[in-house]
Amino acid sequence: MERNLEKTMDNVTNVEGVIGCILADRQGLCLGAKGSASGQSAGLIAAIADEVAKLEPESNAPIIALESDNRQCIIQRQGPIVGAIYKAISP
Amino acid sequence: MLSMERIPEQIGYLVLKEDGAVLTSGGELENDERIANIIMSLITLTDTIDPKAFASDETFNKISITYEDHCYVICLSNKKVHIVKKKITALTSSQEQQQQHLPVIA
Repeated sequence: MERNLEKTMDNVTNVEGVIGCILADRQGLCLGAKGSASGQSAGLIAAIADEVAKLEPESNAPIIALESDNRQCIIQRQGPIVGAIYKAISP
Repeated sequence: MLSMERIPEQIGYLVLKEDGAVLTSGGELENDERIANIIMSLITLTDTIDPKAFASDETFNKISITYEDHCYVICLSNKKVHIVKKKITALTSSQEQQQQHLPVIA
């Protein structure tokens, strides 16, 4: 199972513009982190996904995007897993 | 807030003070304190995301929450939190091309 996760994360970080990705479980525990991503933020990412899920509990999980001047953090829950992708925004 | 109402495809908006109090609102988000509270706690959570990927002085200036047919866009301006709920209409490929070319023409 880990091998599948590792492969998926490798595929994601190989995409142009992606600088890192992280996967967390329902409790906010880190399942894996690749590239420029720290496992410490797994809890925070799961908490953000939980907080946003309260907005519209009946709708499907939304995509949450946080943007700074040159970076972007995209978070989405897929079933029991929360994934976050960090991207560099090209000017 | 006429300017918020003029945003294209807008179906609701909220303007909050930094402490979360509702200043103005309209459309589907009129006086929606539940949404206001959730957004305020979301903003508090996003204070520091990942020290490895984002520098400590690198702050987020926009949050968007995208559902299938609508989205919420949140940003801070003039010490107020602006939240807009927008409808998403699928673009046809020619419109998409047009949008991509707009900055080049301008």
